Amino acid sequence: MILALGCFAFAAACSMYRVLIGPGLAERVMALDVMLVCLMGAVAVDAARRDDTTYLVLLVVIAIIGFTATVAASKFLEQEQATRPDTSDR
Amino acid sequence: MTIVATALMILGGAVAVLAGVGVLRFETTYARLHAAGKASPVAFLIAGIGVAIDLGPEAGALLLIAGAAMVLTLPVGVHLLFRAVHRTSSNDHLLIDDLAPAEDAIQNDPQ
Repeated sequence: MILALGCFAFAAACSMYRVLIGPGLAERVMALDVMLVCLMGAVAVDAARRDDTTYLVLLVVIAIIGFTATVAASKFLEQEQATRPDTSDR
Repeated sequence: MTIVATALMILGGAVAVLAGVGVLRFETTYARLHAAGKASPVAFLIAGIGVAIDLGPEAGALLLIAGAAMVLTLPVGVHLLFRAVHRTSSNDHLLIDDLAPAEDAIQNDPQ
């Protein structure tokens, strides 16, 4: 189980590096999505490790909030392009 | 039973590592989105099955709700990101672009 937690942490670290280096806003949003999924997996494995179901409700909340954030960010991307076409390479 | 559960959790972690490495190493935006959108829900589902075997039906119900929410929403979110990238960046490097005719039709139609 510790190994599984380490795997999720490593995947989250890879995504974190992608968030930092970019190069585009879409990649950052997507990498944050992957980080959220890694967080969900880590919370689930941690629940099994502690033998405690308290935090499993958190997974539903994280899934739905992550979806809302992705949709909002993609809409923002498209609108920013519509109002400021000169920033298309970001 | 515990061995199966632990093995599934580690397998889910391994798939998550694949997703993270794909996000980190792939060259183009579309390839990165591909790695993120396909591998990460599978990783959570596999690890969730392992946790559900370990913790019993009550936790399994919660994990089922979380997994269903994720499987229903994450492809939609990644698809929206795909479309935003397609609209906002140059697509000259693509060999086949099936989305461009549909986007042109929307732009030419004022409705």
